[in-house]
Amino acid sequence: MVVTQQTWRLGLRASVAWIVVVIFMFPLYWWISVSLRSDQDIFNKPPKLFVSDVTLKSYKVVLLGISPSSTSIEKSGAVHWGESSATFALPSLIDSVYIGIASTIITILISLLAAYALSRMRFSGHHHFIFWVLSTRMMPPVAVALPMFFLFRRLGLIDTYTGAILIHALMNFPLAVLLLKSFIDDIPKEIDEVAMLDGASRMTVFVRLIMPSIRGGIAATAVLCFIFSWTEFLFILSLTQASVNTVPVAASTFVTSTGTAWGYMAALTCTAVLPAFIFIVLVQKHLVRGLTMGSLK
Amino acid sequence: MKISSIFSLDRPWIWLAPLVAVLAVFTLFPFFYNIYLSFHEFNSFRRTFTFVGFDNWKGLFEDPKMWRAFGVNVIYLAVCLTVQFILGLGIALLINTDGKGYNLIRSLLLLPLVVPPAVVGMMFLLMEDSQFGVLSWIMQSIGLITAGEPLLTSSRTALFGVMLADIWQWTPFMVLIMLAGLHALPKEPFEAALVDGAKFHHVLFHLTLPMLRPIIAVAILIRGIDLFRVFDYVFVMTSGGPGIATQTLSFYTWKQSFSFVKWGYAATLSLFSLIFLIVIANMFIRAAKVKW
Repeated sequence: MVVTQQTWRLGLRASVAWIVVVIFMFPLYWWISVSLRSDQDIFNKPPKLFVSDVTLKSYKVVLLGISPSSTSIEKSGAVHWGESSATFALPSLIDSVYIGIASTIITILISLLAAYALSRMRFSGHHHFIFWVLSTRMMPPVAVALPMFFLFRRLGLIDTYTGAILIHALMNFPLAVLLLKSFIDDIPKEIDEVAMLDGASRMTVFVRLIMPSIRGGIAATAVLCFIFSWTEFLFILSLTQASVNTVPVAASTFVTSTGTAWGYMAALTCTAVLPAFIFIVLVQKHLVRGLTMGSLK
Repeated sequence: MKISSIFSLDRPWIWLAPLVAVLAVFTLFPFFYNIYLSFHEFNSFRRTFTFVGFDNWKGLFEDPKMWRAFGVNVIYLAVCLTVQFILGLGIALLINTDGKGYNLIRSLLLLPLVVPPAVVGMMFLLMEDSQFGVLSWIMQSIGLITAGEPLLTSSRTALFGVMLADIWQWTPFMVLIMLAGLHALPKEPFEAALVDGAKFHHVLFHLTLPMLRPIIAVAILIRGIDLFRVFDYVFVMTSGGPGIATQTLSFYTWKQSFSFVKWGYAATLSLFSLIFLIVIANMFIRAAKVKW
């Protein structure tokens, strides 16, 4: 009797858990299905839960730049675009990758040095310094974007890759420093001390000992920095115009006064989310530490 | 002192210098430039800044729209934080087991976290569309909303519509942190409670929650800061509307600067949000003894 009751309980638990998962996956299912629907299907009333005829049209338009007018678009609220250049969004994907990788490299290089010092050296104001780093996390992005707009305009950085890369690197420093510091904290200090007694210099300890032992941590930090750059919206929106465009901002331009190209928007963003998801599953183990900026291990 | 010892690698400042330079650009410069701007206003005819003294600050405290936006922020934060915390803890307790398939469940729940918030806003904008939105349709069929009162265009429900996007995206964040917390708890007290025949809610309120307290504090701090800065969902889904029903401080600031070119007032608004957040967050860090 006890056994059956227990199995029943396990089954109930699993069912509830899967119901939760289904509810949370539903918006994603819907978005993916929108990317595979014809406009007719998207604007159906009442909404159709399943795609009746799967079409890759949106992907072709967005990723390959095939002119949308050459494929026949039915009426019913569909958006007609004059030129294919307005709907060809592959360049924004490339921009996102480029800005994400470049800003991540800059962030990691500078943060590693600072993280080492914060973890291994004690100096007056050590605690205040950490709070200073942390407090940058509290700045509303708009409070940074505004002065940066004037600074960038003076420096000619508006609407440039350099500007976009710099602002994303700046944005990720607090996270990277605190996170890398927490990974270095995990390595016993005695190891450093023994190596230095043996005559190794600080630099040798840092490059030969610390860096190899936190490889996983560096990878996790880099992935998170990349994802935050990948998903960032406000800085790109306010500091770039036509020549630099990341995916979130490019997707938002599919909303126009005459209507919204939902299929294109969904196709572009579904393509963009896939690599980010793969990355985050790879560093799943360090994710909690990353999302709490190294406070929780 | 020899020059070489000043530049010795044993001195922390050598290692910290690049970061200090960067932080100066990213925090000190915006902070002081905002202060400077808050005492000026942009004159769009002469295209220059003129000194206005404390006018912007006085205007800020007398601006009903600012207080309305502040109110929206507070409601948004309170509701989202409560729902995300309760759901997050509940789901974490539910899936905190080694059973078959739970690894897959945990991975799947990470998915919402990697979707750009602006894109989540668009997903929910489509799903909450009054005509062909699937969510609106479901909510209408179960009687949660009426056809005459569309979710995002009625001032009574629009904020709720925006919150749905936030709750969907960030509940998994809470789940993840609570799971890590639950995982790190010692087993013995729970086994003892089980032997004593303690009820589920007793274990939850007298054992689990008190032991999770430090982790809950960090989760609430980080989520609270982000909820107070909310911008993307509002920008994409409602642009603060209908009227100013969903206008948050961040969005109001953005509108004042990038659409109304009232740079001075926008800087004052930024400073107000920033100072408010730093003071509250600092008090919370002290009260809850959060450590870094």
